[in-house]
Amino acid sequence: MGERGRGCCPPMDLMRSEPMQLLQLIIPVESAHLAVSYIGDLGLIQFKDLNAEKSPFQRTYAIQIKRCGEMARKLRFFRDQMSKVGLTPTARSATQAITSLDDLEVKLGDLEAELVEINANGEKLQRSYNELAEYKLVLQKAGEFFNSALSSAEAHHREYASNQGGESLETPLLSEQETFADPSKQVKLGFITGLVPRDKSMAFERILFRATRGNVFLKQATVDEPVIDPVSGEKVEKNVFVVFFSGERAKNKILKICEAFGANRYAFTEDLSKQSQMITEVSGRLSELQTTIDAGLVHRGNLLQAIGEQFEQWNLLVRKEKAIYHTLNMLSIDVTKKCLVAEGWSPVFATKEIQDALHRATLDSNSQVDSIFQVLHTREMPPTYFRTNKFTSAFQEIVDAYGVAKYQEANPGVFTIVTFPFLFAVMFGDWGHGICLLLATLYFIIREKKLSSQKLGDIMEMTFGGRYVIMLMALFSIYTGLIYNEFFSVPFELFAPSAYVCRDPACRDATTVGLIKARDTYPFGVDPAWHGTRSELPFLNSLKMKMSILLGVAQMNLGIILSYFNAQFFKNSLNTWFQFIPQMIFLNSLFGYLSVLIIIKWCTGSKADLYHVMIYMFLSPTDELGENELFPGQKTIQIVLLLLALVSVPWMLLPKPFLLKMQHDRHHGESYAPLPDAEESLQSEANHDSHGHEEFEFSEIFVHQLIHTIEFVLGAVSNTASYLRLWALSLAHSELSSVFYEKVLLLAWGYNNIIILIVGIIIFICATVGVLLVMETLSAFLHALRLHWVEFQNKFYEGDGYKFYPFSFALLDYEEE
Amino acid sequence: MGFLVTTLIFLVVGIIASLCTRICCNRGPSANLLHLTLIITATVCCWMMWAIVYLSQMKPLIVPILNESE
Repeated sequence: MGERGRGCCPPMDLMRSEPMQLLQLIIPVESAHLAVSYIGDLGLIQFKDLNAEKSPFQRTYAIQIKRCGEMARKLRFFRDQMSKVGLTPTARSATQAITSLDDLEVKLGDLEAELVEINANGEKLQRSYNELAEYKLVLQKAGEFFNSALSSAEAHHREYASNQGGESLETPLLSEQETFADPSKQVKLGFITGLVPRDKSMAFERILFRATRGNVFLKQATVDEPVIDPVSGEKVEKNVFVVFFSGERAKNKILKICEAFGANRYAFTEDLSKQSQMITEVSGRLSELQTTIDAGLVHRGNLLQAIGEQFEQWNLLVRKEKAIYHTLNMLSIDVTKKCLVAEGWSPVFATKEIQDALHRATLDSNSQVDSIFQVLHTREMPPTYFRTNKFTSAFQEIVDAYGVAKYQEANPGVFTIVTFPFLFAVMFGDWGHGICLLLATLYFIIREKKLSSQKLGDIMEMTFGGRYVIMLMALFSIYTGLIYNEFFSVPFELFAPSAYVCRDPACRDATTVGLIKARDTYPFGVDPAWHGTRSELPFLNSLKMKMSILLGVAQMNLGIILSYFNAQFFKNSLNTWFQFIPQMIFLNSLFGYLSVLIIIKWCTGSKADLYHVMIYMFLSPTDELGENELFPGQKTIQIVLLLLALVSVPWMLLPKPFLLKMQHDRHHGESYAPLPDAEESLQSEANHDSHGHEEFEFSEIFVHQLIHTIEFVLGAVSNTASYLRLWALSLAHSELSSVFYEKVLLLAWGYNNIIILIVGIIIFICATVGVLLVMETLSAFLHALRLHWVEFQNKFYEGDGYKFYPFSFALLDYEEE
Repeated sequence: MGFLVTTLIFLVVGIIASLCTRICCNRGPSANLLHLTLIITATVCCWMMWAIVYLSQMKPLIVPILNESE
């Protein structure tokens, strides 16, 4: 375990993770619940599960958790009911009194029973209402049948009477077999009235006909509006039917068929006066039921409203209690059943706060005994905890996405805060686009408070979370845009006049031989004379490629230097002498030398071919350089550097495994080992043996070192070349930008037509936003990320730690969502 | 403005920025060191970018050759 390095590097925030300690808390049972609750408010202890071998049902507080689960279920039920009615729970009000868990349980039980009862009653009433409504329809429609039958019978009778003379009213009906039969005659005709769903009515008729061999008469009438079916509760189109039959068997068949088709039957009297009486009665009952149902709904609405006001608070209370009991389950209960033992990781700076919380819990629970707070010594690796604020947390998340830092190793996040937006900007460089990006992100930052409490969609959530990253990206893009001299691909002479002029006043040679440099170098950025010329691309490509190499070598050197700081911190002198130094020598004698050559070539204006120089440095180092000589003594220096690089490879590979073996043998050879400390962790006693004497496999160590060396040596070339993506993306961005400008905007301008101009502007804006501001941003973001994760971090980062995840009520919200 | 003068300007701007951060957000020595590191890194990055572009244009090997239409 590393201790703080002395002197050379004073502690810097965020550079290394917080020092953590393993705590052992012994809490008396009566204050345990309060103690855990206060610790949850603090949010600074990550409890270890001391009962890992027990199943969930064997744990001490399993019953309590079941109770909480029941209450959570009831709360979910309430929420469902509320959303059905369209209510949303109101935001938490701090003024209501917090009830205890037992009271809440009783209250929730009562409310649930009441709500269930109201729902059941409501359903019953609704069903009766629907049945009555159907009955009313039957009465109306069937009444119409009989009335029309009666009126036609009267008509017939009058006709017949005019032909024949006084006969009874019923006679003509009997003699005419096709007309309606009068049901009150002694031919025992019965009838059934009811409603059948319209889509089944044809089949219904057919089956009735077949089953009774055609000895029934069915009359149907459609109902205009869909009717609410009492059984299913949905609106169905129905027909009213009247079926006349004779005989008991036919009646049974018809009844069964009605049941099969789900046709509801209702009683109907033939008596006219009774019919109208029935109708008024039914109408009366319908309106009564309606008022009852309405009153029931109002009552339910009020109940749900009252629940809604307290819902969030209750929800929070239940979740908190459940979390507390889960945590209590992780503590091991002492044999005497009088106290609980807890073990957990916590940062060293939180010691005082935790002790205060425990003391308060003892006081508040009127316990006789205070809790005991102990620090344990252990060889386990602690979790990694960085104290970040809203600005640095986004960058730390970017680093953590690749791998969480090992306990107290150097955190690349510190430098990522600047280099990541910078590398993005090198690939994005356009100050017009940078300003657009800045305005967009300033909107997010200004409305920070409001947006952080809202629930945004997934993409918006990510963009909002990274608002400070994007702000820095935009600021750096404005800077690199000024350097590349591109404002939506248009250059400006902002700082001084351009350095290039025509060779003669008539500018005859401008298109063949070109301009010459007559004035001072353009002081800030790329000279505006270059844009649109034929030799623009050769110049810019050369510039950007060399820039990528220089920036890449600088970042990789920074990575190796961070590995030196790690070695110093963990007091690993082997790593310093046999890893850091040969790595520096190898990288710089090759690629550092290349960077120096680039700078010398620029400063002297020599025409030397750097490809040639580098390749022949390896192939034939003793050859004369001739016109590729950039400085005197170059040949000798190249030979020396080549030898240094060659020596550094076995220097990286061989000594370290052998020295590690010697170290291990020295430790192993000691006849006695130091006594273990009295305060050992409860768990580590079990696996003490496996940690105490680590196996040392020499072959494994050697292979590991071999892989590391090969990775570094080959990686030196491939990683340096990988930085050329800075050139590639920046070229793509500027080309896209100039295409959109020239071929859309300027083209539209050339037509001198206002409509074409407006259409052109719209297309230009859409293309800029869609392709350049969204797609290119994501692309450059991704590539800058890759450069950090792979090329920068593989020089020093191990990233195999685990994150500190404390028991905290504030984090409960994130869990549930 | 030569190379050295502008480099000095970058240096001065970096020093002023670190002083400003020390004045307005002074939150203890470890946080101050972090802020200083960030300012230094940003200054060095920006200076490197400017210096590379400036140096490449000091003694150019190719010159702008205009297009026919211009």
